[in-house]
Amino acid sequence: MSFLRVENLTHIYNQKTTYSRDAVSNVSFTAEKGEIIGVIGHTGSGKSTLIQHLNGLLKPDEGHIYIDGTDIWADPKKIKNFRFKVGLVFQYPEYQLFDETVYDDIAFGPKNMGMSSEEIEKTVNEIILEVGLSKDYLEKSPFDLSGGEKRRVAIAGVLAMKPEIIAFDEPTAGLDPSGRQMVTDIIRNYRDKYNATVIIVSHSMEDIAALADKILVMNKGKLQMYGTPKEVFSKGLELKEIDLSVPQVTTVFDILRKKGFNLPDNVITVDEAVKLLVNLKQEGCTND
Amino acid sequence: MIKDLTIGQYYPVNSLIHSLDPRFKIVLLVVLLVFTFIADNFFALGLMVAFVLVVMVISKVPFSMYLKNLKIILPILIFTMLLNLFYVADGVVLYEFWVIKITVGGISRSVFMSLRVILLIIISATLTYTTTPNDLTTAIERLCSPLRFIGLGSAVHTMSMMMTIALRFIPTLVEETEKIINAQKARGADFESGKLMQRVKAIIPILIPLLISSVRRAYDLAEAMESRCYNGGKNKTMMKQLKIKNGDIISTIVVIIFCCSIITLNIFF
Ligand SMILES: Nc1ncnc2c1ncn2[C@@H]1O[C@H](COP(=O)(O)OP(=O)(O)OP(=O)(O)O)[C@@H](O)[C@H]1O
Ligand SMILES: [Mg+2]
Repeated sequence: MSFLRVENLTHIYNQKTTYSRDAVSNVSFTAEKGEIIGVIGHTGSGKSTLIQHLNGLLKPDEGHIYIDGTDIWADPKKIKNFRFKVGLVFQYPEYQLFDETVYDDIAFGPKNMGMSSEEIEKTVNEIILEVGLSKDYLEKSPFDLSGGEKRRVAIAGVLAMKPEIIAFDEPTAGLDPSGRQMVTDIIRNYRDKYNATVIIVSHSMEDIAALADKILVMNKGKLQMYGTPKEVFSKGLELKEIDLSVPQVTTVFDILRKKGFNLPDNVITVDEAVKLLVNLKQEGCTND
Repeated sequence: MIKDLTIGQYYPVNSLIHSLDPRFKIVLLVVLLVFTFIADNFFALGLMVAFVLVVMVISKVPFSMYLKNLKIILPILIFTMLLNLFYVADGVVLYEFWVIKITVGGISRSVFMSLRVILLIIISATLTYTTTPNDLTTAIERLCSPLRFIGLGSAVHTMSMMMTIALRFIPTLVEETEKIINAQKARGADFESGKLMQRVKAIIPILIPLLISSVRRAYDLAEAMESRCYNGGKNKTMMKQLKIKNGDIISTIVVIIFCCSIITLNIFF
């Protein structure tokens, strides 16, 4: 049995009014512990709506979400427990910072969980390092930090609850390349350390290709594809039809293949590409 | 949801009332409001009710929308009714108990007053349902423009600019508040249970981010306006010119006839 199971999930905003629209319709998928699922889709395809169901912020109009075999809405009074089991990092999470010090802000979630103050202290000290900041930051005001640092503090605020499932809504949006790298490293490390299920919504095919074990493609509220990155990105034409693209290296390799080079069609990361090109070059040299 | 609380409650349909010049609409509706007070017997008020019902139908805004407005003022309505019911002692006594005395005069007075309150609400709602906030502020600015002859021209412009900006940002702020509430809920914040003090404290994690982002937005907007050389209303023309159409003149005539009828009814009954 899968750890996370979403069944026939449907969500309609503003039901019964003239503005009603299906944001998510009949989506089903499963995910295991330790898996990173990338969610891609054109703007308005229902990605954010989908992930807000996982911790019960939104209630499905139809369908069910099972975590570890339990329907999260089986007892609506206990929905709060799932807020701690499933972490949710919103888009631009730095706008949720509010406390006087970084320490207090990170401690907000654990406090709400009812952790003891020793536990909280231990967790906060551990998490701040995991997001790549030193302990000196704990005493600072979150409002004095740079954008990238704020983002990492905000992510730490959710990681501190040690959720077994964690969903990120466009975690790298608005960051520079090194900031993006930092955030993707944080996500990967968290998965490795806690064997958590991670769900990442992103518009960056590069980030998704580098991180995800599986990719979920949303189109107009429906699930269009669900498979490994290589499977999904080898269907470039189908993706193009729903206004999505493939990673840039994949496009470059497509062009090279058309020019007659003997290269595979499932290259999605730069690392892979470099290896293949180096091989190609060496072969070329030996042939000469 | 918080979204139900929005103030700009424009209802987008095409109707005769929607298409009126907002300046006329404001003036005519204010006249109607005044005449709700001038009508001082049931005949006059009855005509008023009939007229407002016709306006409601023409506006194509569903009655349920108007009812939603009335629901909000229900406590005030009930209070007005009870106050008049108990305090007006006039005519045949129907029921008497201790200090409470219910009379025919009291009942008719309380019905009369609540009808008045309902009319007031519906008339003002008609304005907001059928006029976009932008049109409203433009119209107010235009209506106040004679103030420039006494040197208040820039004040009028500033006020209307402030109103436009405030109205523009209400939905943004509502959306932002919802986002922040969700983000804090995702960290286990609880706004629904606990004692009063705890609940007040629970608002801090929403209020502070909201304040900060509002200030940030204000700076951004100011900068954006300055970099487009915004310098107040001096010698500025409007992008959206208001034009008087036949419908405006006809509705003005209708309202004038209506007002005369109210005065006549007042005099004869
Ligand atoms: N609070 C809301 N009320 C009403 N409709 C909404 C709300 N949130 C989203 N929608 C609508 O639901 C649909 C899906 O929105 P959603 O935010 O899930 O898309 P998304 O895939 O996350 O898009 P993006 O990539 O732009 O973030 C959109 O058509 C949107 O207009
Ligand atoms: Mg989104």
